[in-house]
Amino acid sequence: MAKKKYRPENQKKAWWFLLPSLLVIAVFSIYPLFRSFYMSFQSGFLLNQQFAGFSNYIQIFHDPVFIQALENTAIFGIVVVPLALAISLLIAWIIFEKVKHKAIFETIFFMPYVTSMIAVGIIFQYFFNKDYGMVNFLLGLVGIPSVNWLDNIHMSIPTLIIFGIWNGLAFNIIILLSGFRNINPEYYTIAEMYGATGWEKFSRITFPQLLPTISFLLTVNFIGAFKVYTEVFALFGGQAGIANSAVTAVFYIYNKFYLMGRPGVAMAASVVLFLIIIVITIVQRMLTRRKDI
Amino acid sequence: MRKITTGLAYAFLLVMSLITLFPFVYMILTGLMTHQETVQMPPTLIPHHLQFSNYVEVFKEIPFLRYFVNTLFVSVITTIATLITCTLAAFALTSLQFRFKKLIFTIMVGLLMVPYESIIFTNYNTIANLGLLNTYAALIVPFLTSIFYIYFLNNYMKAMPDSIYKAAKVDGASDMEYIWRVLVPMVRPALVTVGILTFIMSWNSFLWPLLVTNNDNMRLLNNGLAAFETESGAQTQLQMAAATMTVVPVLIIYFVFRKEIIKGVSNNGTKG
Repeated sequence: MAKKKYRPENQKKAWWFLLPSLLVIAVFSIYPLFRSFYMSFQSGFLLNQQFAGFSNYIQIFHDPVFIQALENTAIFGIVVVPLALAISLLIAWIIFEKVKHKAIFETIFFMPYVTSMIAVGIIFQYFFNKDYGMVNFLLGLVGIPSVNWLDNIHMSIPTLIIFGIWNGLAFNIIILLSGFRNINPEYYTIAEMYGATGWEKFSRITFPQLLPTISFLLTVNFIGAFKVYTEVFALFGGQAGIANSAVTAVFYIYNKFYLMGRPGVAMAASVVLFLIIIVITIVQRMLTRRKDI
Repeated sequence: MRKITTGLAYAFLLVMSLITLFPFVYMILTGLMTHQETVQMPPTLIPHHLQFSNYVEVFKEIPFLRYFVNTLFVSVITTIATLITCTLAAFALTSLQFRFKKLIFTIMVGLLMVPYESIIFTNYNTIANLGLLNTYAALIVPFLTSIFYIYFLNNYMKAMPDSIYKAAKVDGASDMEYIWRVLVPMVRPALVTVGILTFIMSWNSFLWPLLVTNNDNMRLLNNGLAAFETESGAQTQLQMAAATMTVVPVLIIYFVFRKEIIKGVSNNGTKG
């Protein structure tokens, strides 16, 4: 950027090219940011709102459903993110290291990323059916009695976690594979010259070289986990699991805003969600200290 | 020892590919079964007679064709608009010099961190106040541009030498001529990626259309599918036929453009 110091002119025409994008961004990205914040301090229904100070914030933190939503979201993130990442790492490593027809496996594993979560959710509901689902049938073959995956308050989150892991693999594997490809192959040549074993190569070269990719995926995945919504909707047919047992942060906001008409409370919850996500992003930026942005 | 590890690795890879692929294959198969076949134990793997009548049944029970046309229309317009607005904006940010350029960049990078889910409900209010609920405009207007893809295209364009733009100017080309006849052909691979990914994301969108539409005529595929799923009770074979019709168009695009899609996503990812 140093050469840009010499400025021939202020080319005002640039604004014409930016105008269409800036208009949409101003109305649908910047304005709602301030508006949500403002609304979180107001109470009442949409048409008659008054200033209410922090009462919405106080209310959500006294609302057991919101606490449960945060808990569920946190459990989902803490279980799904590391597990999905570990499985993805193993799969990507096998594809990178051992397989000849890499493109075939790459294509298969990336499919869930492009397909509709609602459609996939319907398939999983069928697989998880208590009476005639494929999962219980397979468990039955090895002598495990039927599990009530979908209609049991204690099973909602585990079922959601399995679905979440299945969904999460695609993106991780593709990003990890491109991370593997960016490692300088000379490192391996040299390591082999000195007779390094497969494990040594992985722990001394591959893993350290992949760390930036892994930390990027951790952030993206944690943020994704805190926004989980469509998975729940798809898996439990529009409900947040039986008796709200799988309620998540976004589901809570949706219910308060759309179904109960309490925008102030919903906005307070979404400001909290927003802050959590910003904190995760900032922590990751600090940990990896990326210079490029 | 080495052979055993390799064998285990292959076995694991095969099992995982099966777990990934099987739901899609079984969705298609179940969509062609009789109701009886879908609920018996042990589960039916291959339908005895292919029940194509399930598809006819779906069209009879819900206006699936309408959902399909709506989704196609919204996705195509969104994709074309995104391509145009993002190209224009990325061009200005790459080739032109103007005051506050840095500020625009800072704001955009900041906005990239804002979770869509925390502003979507306020956007619902905006659309409602504009009187646009249950219109195509509601489904399209908020997605006419994408900060993410402006940023992506800008990164791509930055890699090209400045002198090309200057040479075009010396040759007397207007900015629009330069964009259309020089820039677009040069960044074509990036535009293909942006176009396909925008189309697929638009096709699969769920929460926003759920908020801004509630009548059957304006529904999109995924919302129609979700509603059908709850309304049709245990008609598994029909749900699967409907799910198949939602997924297959995207899968076809995916198989045709898989290289561009995978490359695009991995570039976006590593560049963050």
